[in-house]
Amino acid sequence: MKRETRIALLGLLVPLGIVILWQIAALLQKTPLFPGPGKVVVAIWDNYPVILHQLGITLRRASAGFAVAVVTMIPLGIFLGRVRVVGKVLEPLMDMLATLPPPAIIPLVMLFAGTGDWAKIVIIAYAAAVPLLMNSYEASHSINPMLSRVAKSLHLSRLETMRLIDWPSSLPMIATGARLAIASSLLVSVTSEMLLSTNGIGTYLQRSQENFRIDAGLAGIAFISLAGVLVNAGVFRLEKKWLFWHYRDQRPAE
Amino acid sequence: MTALLSTSAVGKHYGSGAARMPIIDGLELSIAKGEFVSLVGPSGCGKTTLLMCLAGLLAPSEGQVRFNGQLVTAPPIGLSVVFQDYSRSLLPWKSNLDNVLFGMRRVQLSGPEKRARAVEILAAVGLSGFEAHYPWQVSGGMQQRVAIARGIAAQSQLLLLDEPLAAVDAQTRADMQDLLLDLAKRFNQTCVLVTHDVEEAVYMANRVLVLGPRPTKVVREVIVDLPMPRDQLATREDPAFLHARHEVMALIRGMRQGKALA
Repeated sequence: MKRETRIALLGLLVPLGIVILWQIAALLQKTPLFPGPGKVVVAIWDNYPVILHQLGITLRRASAGFAVAVVTMIPLGIFLGRVRVVGKVLEPLMDMLATLPPPAIIPLVMLFAGTGDWAKIVIIAYAAAVPLLMNSYEASHSINPMLSRVAKSLHLSRLETMRLIDWPSSLPMIATGARLAIASSLLVSVTSEMLLSTNGIGTYLQRSQENFRIDAGLAGIAFISLAGVLVNAGVFRLEKKWLFWHYRDQRPAE
Repeated sequence: MTALLSTSAVGKHYGSGAARMPIIDGLELSIAKGEFVSLVGPSGCGKTTLLMCLAGLLAPSEGQVRFNGQLVTAPPIGLSVVFQDYSRSLLPWKSNLDNVLFGMRRVQLSGPEKRARAVEILAAVGLSGFEAHYPWQVSGGMQQRVAIARGIAAQSQLLLLDEPLAAVDAQTRADMQDLLLDLAKRFNQTCVLVTHDVEEAVYMANRVLVLGPRPTKVVREVIVDLPMPRDQLATREDPAFLHARHEVMALIRGMRQGKALA
């Protein structure tokens, strides 16, 4: 067996061990508030249509918030990176916002936008905005000066330089920001639903807990992790495909 | 003889007042069509700043640079720069062929004609079969050849070479010297080579311009009276080569030891 496959198998053994220990502990407890993995599997089977439906609502909201952040923050970050003076003035503000946990703005947003879809989209957009803005800013103000010289000596106009040189060379860093932003949009969409309950998987979790249906709640959590893993894998594949030149897995030809 | 590239009293300084740092002062040079001219000087004399001024990438503080009689204020069409740092001057998201085509954006040819020309020039630099590779997939010497091909492809008459071979290994270097001389002839390129390697400066050039310490200017012109094509063995043993090399080396060593200049 190859070394890598052995390590991968060992990596699966750890969660398997946890599941077994969990089952043993659950059998010893005999209380409905501590369901074992068997009960969770049954709950998944019973509840998956509801869970999938609620998860769909959550993912749609997370995507909407993320999309708002992408179309506003990437251009803003690039602009601030290029116009040095404005960027320098706003840098401390950006640093302050970066350390503020996104759920902290929920009460404030509720005051102005209520508890509907828009409020949640605003909160998600805010959570996604921070990594997107920071990374676009960083990427655009650290463009290699050599490339600017090359652009000038190839007689490119300012607009062409931005489109054909600055933009592609900033993409890897912006993509990293986007990956962080996707993770935090998912996180904050669930959190905001738990606090501003109407629908979505966060609300489902909250309701399950309130009704002492811990098994159903765990079933919901299982689906959230699965969605997270799938989204992450998808993003990673896209990055590898579009930014293959940045990852450079091929060996030199000579 | 009309000059392809000429300067009159070019000066460049950074800062002002007490912090004023002069880099170039009263530099005069004139390059005729078809020449291969090397610029050598002691380390830190401002060679790269000078080259940027000649290329129109940096505005001189005083004096003028003229290319084909026109005042240079931005990089002129017909003048290409090959940078020392090839790995950063090529675009990693474009294939070798696309990098060369990228240099041809201002060339008045149809798409297929451009492509054919780019393929031809890549073949001339010995990269047939590497068109679809990306720069980071090929060796350093090959990357620099892509950069040279891109320079020539941009309808260039004058190639400004900024220590183009400083970062490639010694054996590749000798091959690339001969390749550059061959390309200059085949594609009718006038070349200005900036280098700190005296051997290379003399081996490649018809004329070596020796630059003084900072603020720099041309302090001596050494004519290299050797026929083209050059040969790595015969040329380097020729008395005329040895004589020219001695003269340039002695001048630069003299400057390094802080002796007064003529």
